[in-house]
Amino acid sequence: MNTHRALALSLQFLTRWQHRLLAAAALAAGLAAMASAQVTVFAAASTKTALDEAAAGFEDASGLSVTLSYAGSPALARQIQLGAPADVFISANPGWMDVLQQEQLIDPATRLDLLANRLVLIASGRAAPPLDLETADLGAALGEGRLAMALVDAVPAGIYGKAALTALGHWPAVAPNVAQAANVRAALALVASGEAPMGVVYATDARAEPSVTVIATFPEDSHPPVIYPAAAVADGNAAEATAFLDYLRSPAARGVFARHGFGVPAE
Amino acid sequence: MSTEAAWLGPEEWQAVMLSLRVSFWATLAALPLAVFAAYALARWQFPGKQILNSLVHLPLILPPVVTGYLLLMVFGTKGPVGGALQQIGIVFAFRWTGAALAAGIMAFPLMVRAIRLSVEAVDPKLEQAAATLGAPRVLVFAVITLPMILPGLIAGTVLGFAKAMGEFGATITFVSSIPGQTQTLPSAIYTFLQVPGGESAALRLTLVSIAIALGALLLSEVLARRAADRTGGR
Amino acid sequence: MLRVSLHHALPGFGLDVQFEAPPGVTVLFGRSGTGKTTVIQAVAGLLRPDRGRVALDGELLFDTTRRHWLPPHKRRMGYVFQEGRLFPHLTVRQNLLFGQWFAPRGAKRESLDRVVELLGIGPLLQRRPGLLSGGEKQRVAIGRALLSAPRMILADEPLSALDEARKAEILPYFERLRDEIGIPMLYVSHSAAEVARLATTVVVLQDGKVQRQGTAAEVLGDSAVMPAGVRAAGALLEARVAKHHSDGLTELDAGGVPLFLPQIAKAPGSQVRVRISAHEVILSRQRPEGLSALNILPGTVEHVRTGGGPGAMVSLQTPAGRVLARVTRRSAQALGLETGAECFAIVKTVSIAPEDIGGG
Repeated sequence: MNTHRALALSLQFLTRWQHRLLAAAALAAGLAAMASAQVTVFAAASTKTALDEAAAGFEDASGLSVTLSYAGSPALARQIQLGAPADVFISANPGWMDVLQQEQLIDPATRLDLLANRLVLIASGRAAPPLDLETADLGAALGEGRLAMALVDAVPAGIYGKAALTALGHWPAVAPNVAQAANVRAALALVASGEAPMGVVYATDARAEPSVTVIATFPEDSHPPVIYPAAAVADGNAAEATAFLDYLRSPAARGVFARHGFGVPAE
Repeated sequence: MSTEAAWLGPEEWQAVMLSLRVSFWATLAALPLAVFAAYALARWQFPGKQILNSLVHLPLILPPVVTGYLLLMVFGTKGPVGGALQQIGIVFAFRWTGAALAAGIMAFPLMVRAIRLSVEAVDPKLEQAAATLGAPRVLVFAVITLPMILPGLIAGTVLGFAKAMGEFGATITFVSSIPGQTQTLPSAIYTFLQVPGGESAALRLTLVSIAIALGALLLSEVLARRAADRTGGR
Repeated sequence: MLRVSLHHALPGFGLDVQFEAPPGVTVLFGRSGTGKTTVIQAVAGLLRPDRGRVALDGELLFDTTRRHWLPPHKRRMGYVFQEGRLFPHLTVRQNLLFGQWFAPRGAKRESLDRVVELLGIGPLLQRRPGLLSGGEKQRVAIGRALLSAPRMILADEPLSALDEARKAEILPYFERLRDEIGIPMLYVSHSAAEVARLATTVVVLQDGKVQRQGTAAEVLGDSAVMPAGVRAAGALLEARVAKHHSDGLTELDAGGVPLFLPQIAKAPGSQVRVRISAHEVILSRQRPEGLSALNILPGTVEHVRTGGGPGAMVSLQTPAGRVLARVTRRSAQALGLETGAECFAIVKTVSIAPEDIGGG
C-alpha cells in the first residue's frame, strides 16, 4: 500500500510531457517482452557446434531467442534437479534422462531420441596413421603417453569409452594411462594441443577439431548405443520448448546435424 | 568406486591421501616465495611494484579454469617452461607435481596477503636497530622479523593449505583426473556428484574435507597463540 | 675523530653542516626540528644524505663524490635510540648479547658482566622488554649498544622520553660511559642541563646550520648563542670539591672562590662541573652584607646583550669562569652595567639543582 501511495504521489508531480514519456516507455517494454520470449536449452557438451548452428536457424525461423547452456550431461541434470530454469534438456545418454523422468522433472510426452553418435579413437596431428582396434596393441601404441577421456565413471562419453575398451580387451593395458578430463570437449582439447597423444571422443567432436585425426572407430556393438534423448523440462515454457523440439526434427535441422556427423537413431 | 562396505573405499582413501600430499607440498613450496613477495611488497620501493602486486593477486581474480588453462599452455609438455623442464626430468603434466603446482599457485595470493599484513605490523625501527648492532640484512630478517611475523605466517600457511585442499577448477583443467596421481579430494567429490546415487559417497568425502580443514584451523590457532606469547613478552 | 660534512634537503630548510667530533662526548645541541636527528642518522647509515662526507678515524663511511656508502651494519656505531627499540621477543640478556654476536673478532670488547654491573641491570636479565620501565629499557639499550664493540656511541635524545626522575637516574650512566669506558660519543640533545653535564664539545645547530662549535664552557657561556631559549641559559663553571660540611653543604673551590652547594656525593679533590642558571643570578655593584645567599662571586662585565624585550643578558668574567646573569634592562642601566664594570654575582646555594651538577 505504501509503495502505491508513494508512486501515486510522485506521479502527481510529473509534468504532462513526462507522463506521456513514461507511458510510451511502458508500452515499448511490454512489446519487447512479448517479442523476446526465450527458450533456455541445457545441452550436452558434445552437441555444441552442431546445436549452435541449428539454434540459429530456429531463431531466424521463429523469431524466438535461444539461450544455450553446454556442460557435461550429469552436471546439467543435477542443475535441473535443483530447479534450474531450463526449458529443454538434451542429454548425451538415456541414463540421466531416465533419472529426471523418474523424478517427474521432464514432460514424458515430449521425450524423443534426437541424435545418435559414434565413438572414435583420435590422435594428435592432422595425418596420424590409422589403427586396427581388433589387432593393435593399444597399450604399446600409447607408450608413456596419456589417453584423454571424459570422466570414465560419470560422463557418458567416458562411460561408453571404458565399456568399448573393455569389450575389445584393451582396458587393462590402457587404464593406468587414462587422463580423465571434466568433459569430452576438455579431453578433445588435450589431444588437439598434443598434450595427450590419443583420446576417446565422439565422432562429431573429432570432426569439429582440425588438429586431431580419427584413427579408429569403435564398433557399435562394443558399447551401449550412443543416443541423445531430448525432452521439455516440466516447469518450463511448454509452448516454446515444443516449438524448439519440433524444429530440431525438421529437415533443416537434420541437415545441420548430419553435416556435423551426427546420426539419426533407429526408430 | 565402491560406495558400500568400508566407510571409505580404497580409491577414496587414495584421493584423501593424494590431496594431503599435494596440498602439503604445494604449501611448502609456495611458502618461501610468499614470504619473499610479502616482504618485498611491505618494505621495499621499486619500479614495477604495482605490477608485482597485481601479478600476485591474479590467481585470486581469474576464473580457476582460466588459470588451469594458462598452466597447461606454459607448463604442459608442449609449453615453453614445461618442455624445457622435461629435458631435465621434471614433469608437471598429468602428475601430482602438476596438481601441486596448480594448488600452490591458487594458494599463493592468500598466503602473501596474510604474511604481508604481519610484516607491516613489525616496526621497521626494530630492524634499523638490529642493523646498527651489526646484523646484515638476512640475519635481521631471520632473528628479528621472522619470529615476530610467526603468528601471521602460520595463519597464512594454514589458509594456503586449506585453499590447496579445496582447489579444483585449475587442477582438473591442467592435469585432469587420474586416480593416484591427480584425482584429489575435490575431483573425487565432483565425480561422485556426477554419478546417479553417488551423493552419499560425495557426502562422506565432504565430511573428511571438513574434518581436515577444521583440524588445520585448530592447529594453526594453537601454534599462532604460542608464537604470539613468545614475541609479546607477556 | 669523526669528521662530518653534510647537505640534505629537509621540509622547510636545508641541512648544511660541517663539524668535527673529537674524543669525548660531542653534543649536537639545538631546538627540535633543526636537523639534529638527520645528522646522527646519516652518521649511522640509516639515512642517505643528498651530498656529503663522513669519516671516522680516517675510515670513509660515506662520500657522495666517490659514490662510497658503507651500510649501517658495517659501520660499528652503537646507536641508542630515544625509544630504546629493544627486541620484544628476546629476553634482556638476549638483547644484550645480540650486539656482541655480530662484533668482529679482533674488536675490543667489554664483557657482559662489566656492562651489566656498570648499568645495574643484573636483576633484569631474564625479563622481557615488555615488563621493563622506561628507565630500565634505556639502560638495557645502552648496554646493548656498548656490547656490540662500537667505535663510537650515537645517542639520539636518549633521555627525552623519560620523566625528570628517570633522567636524573640515567644521565650518570652516560657520564660513566664517558669517564670509565672512554668511548667517544655523538649525543643529540635539546636540554642545556644534559649539555652541561655531559659535553666535552658542543655543536650548536640552528635552522640546519652550525651556529657555534666549542667546548661546553665556551658555548654555554656565550650569551649570543641560546639554542634552548633564554630561560634555559646558564654558564658552566668547573670547580674542585674542597670539603663536605656537617650541616649538609659541600664547599667547592672554583678558581679560588668558594662555592657552596647542597651536599653531593663526590670525594674531596674530584672535579665537578656546575651549571649556574642565568635566572638564578643576582648582580650587585657592591659586595652585599647580611644576605642569605652564600655564593658571592666577584667579576667583571664582559658585555651586556639586550633584545626587544625587558631583559638583558649580562656576561661576567669571574675567577671561577664565565657567568651569565639575566636581569632587567632597567636594572642594567640603573647599575651602570657595561663592559669593564666590576660587580658581584650572587647565587643561592639551594638554587643549584642536582641535575646541574656533574662529574668533571
